[in-house]
Amino acid sequence: MTVTPSTDTRRAGRILYGAGVVLLCAWVLGPIYLLVVNTLSSPETVNTFPKPLIPEFDTGSLRFFLEFAGMLSALKNSVLVAGLTMILSILIGAPAGYALSRFDFRGKQAFRMLILLTRAFPLPLLALPLAVMFIRTGLDDTILGLALVHTTLAVPFSVLITYSLFSGIPLELEEAAWTLGCTRVSAFVRVVLPLILPGITASAIFAFVISWNEVFAAAVLTIENRTLTAFLLQNLDTSPLHLKFAGGFILVVPALIFIFAVRKYLFAMWGIANR
Amino acid sequence: MSFRCHVAGVVSAVAIGLSATGAQADILFWSTQAKPVEEAQAMREQVLSGFSGGVDYQPNDGGPWLTRLKAELESGTGTIGVLGALHGDFAALDPDDLIDLDDLGVKAASETFNTLARLGTDHMQYVPWMQASYIMAANRKALEYLPEGADINALTYDQLIEWAANVHEATGEPKFGFPAGPKGLKHRFFQGYLYPSFTNGVVRTFASDDAVVAWEKMRELWSHTNPASTNFSFMQEQLLSGDAWIVFDHTSRLAQAFNERPDEFVAFPAPAGPKGRGFMPVLAGLAIPRTAPDVEASKELVRYMMRPETQIATLRATNFFPVVDVDLPDDLPPAVKAAGDAIARMSAAPDANPGLLPAGLGDKGGDFNRVFVDTFERIVLAGQDIRAVLDEQKQRLAQIMQETGAPCWAPDAPSEGACPVE
Repeated sequence: MTVTPSTDTRRAGRILYGAGVVLLCAWVLGPIYLLVVNTLSSPETVNTFPKPLIPEFDTGSLRFFLEFAGMLSALKNSVLVAGLTMILSILIGAPAGYALSRFDFRGKQAFRMLILLTRAFPLPLLALPLAVMFIRTGLDDTILGLALVHTTLAVPFSVLITYSLFSGIPLELEEAAWTLGCTRVSAFVRVVLPLILPGITASAIFAFVISWNEVFAAAVLTIENRTLTAFLLQNLDTSPLHLKFAGGFILVVPALIFIFAVRKYLFAMWGIANR
Repeated sequence: MSFRCHVAGVVSAVAIGLSATGAQADILFWSTQAKPVEEAQAMREQVLSGFSGGVDYQPNDGGPWLTRLKAELESGTGTIGVLGALHGDFAALDPDDLIDLDDLGVKAASETFNTLARLGTDHMQYVPWMQASYIMAANRKALEYLPEGADINALTYDQLIEWAANVHEATGEPKFGFPAGPKGLKHRFFQGYLYPSFTNGVVRTFASDDAVVAWEKMRELWSHTNPASTNFSFMQEQLLSGDAWIVFDHTSRLAQAFNERPDEFVAFPAPAGPKGRGFMPVLAGLAIPRTAPDVEASKELVRYMMRPETQIATLRATNFFPVVDVDLPDDLPPAVKAAGDAIARMSAAPDANPGLLPAGLGDKGGDFNRVFVDTFERIVLAGQDIRAVLDEQKQRLAQIMQETGAPCWAPDAPSEGACPVE
């Protein structure tokens, strides 16, 4: 039997596609797998190599953190700060993105640059004056205060993401809605918003993760209301290996759960979800 | 659950969080020490639980520690009650920002430590809290390769190099481990061990001919050192994993190895060079910032920390030794016993050449360390000419000493004014 070149190429393409999928999955799942195995291993096993394929389900390291004073309230604070950051950055970022994409105004270019500038200065540089100001105004050691700082960090992303999303939606759609009796606001709510919801979710996830991972400002600006990263991360780098893994696991899991919870909206953006 | 429900949930959670206000009565103990989670936990549960008032123990990285403190000093209102940090951290602060602690009635048994704690002023700026040192540790498997006639408790640098070479040859892998990673304390090895042992000085003798010999030995040792050492910061990890068999590090950065597998490892004194067995203490202290909300309560906490029984509890929690006179109990963890024995042998050695911590450098302490780290990287890692590198780095060192006007400290001979680089 002779194989025609076209089926040969097609098969090669399929293999390449499959290999790509496997590689990408391994890229993401490999580290998470190692994290889980080491978290569920006894301290002795963590220090040995090669690792067992299936963990021995030793929960000692995890139990240590359960008893670690202040873990739960730190977790609560982290969720609150990240949630508030998410809401604020969308409330501020999405209208800015809409304005940038729909209106022409003086200083538009400068405005776009200015938004990015908030990321140009490292936090350790800003933290001192910020902390002094927060202490003076009473924002110090509050969830709202920290969320405001994290929002500043997250807003550039949410503006840029929503800007490109709004730009991708033809103005004609909105105009059609206007001719059918919608006001500017109701056209936005009924036509544009459903279309960009996945994008909003993506920028919400960005905001959430940025806030979740931020350490320096959290460590300086919160005392009683520490976030999980401020509470744990700076102590982990000097901790024994098995606790590093367990702590890393604890830091990663809530963020993973969150992303899982909103994945439907994210996938919708890529046209995978069933509508 | 719909997206709207998610949002509603988050919003209500936020509202609850914002309305919740914590009652603040605990003394905030703002520390750079006892940072690893296990040590922080032990500090809270075993050391501070005995204090009559509440204590909120918060260990931090140096950056946030200093930034928060500076912000409170600048704004004039503080939440930090007691500061716990290394001598070098306090040296970088303005002594006026710390409350004088002469009237506290507690101090270290060592007058040297008490003098350091004055930070160059006439008053105690901090109270010495606990001490540690750097020692050597080895896997017992390495002992059979000890050079003939060598006593592990009285090694010389030449014997150490030969030992590392023997292990290298026998196993086919370089098994000496050195904490040259980003968070490793390599600079302390050069300042407190290598230089004093070979040159009987640190600053004065920085670029001397003896120093050239010292760096040649360092290069030799490096040829039998696990090259991944530039990633190692806590040698207990490499001892446990077997990546290194013979190591140098801070006692508390070796503790986990001894506590987990006490029978597999030995601790022993640092080696000796032609000018004696150089070694150096680590000193942590307690201070009260001038913005402390309740100075009397803070002072009470400092007094509590200095009690003999608290000092022993601190030793168990952190592997840092007491600075006051105490009778050590018999049931101490293996790491404490091993490290304590090694330090005792090191200090009691006939050729002991104890150095002091750098003093008087103020906020230039980091720059001072940088000189030694850069010198190491250029000579040992990049293989540059020793004489040329030392002559170049000497300029930077001299500049730091001139700017700070810091007088010499042991083992350098005393100086009038700034310590000269000869």
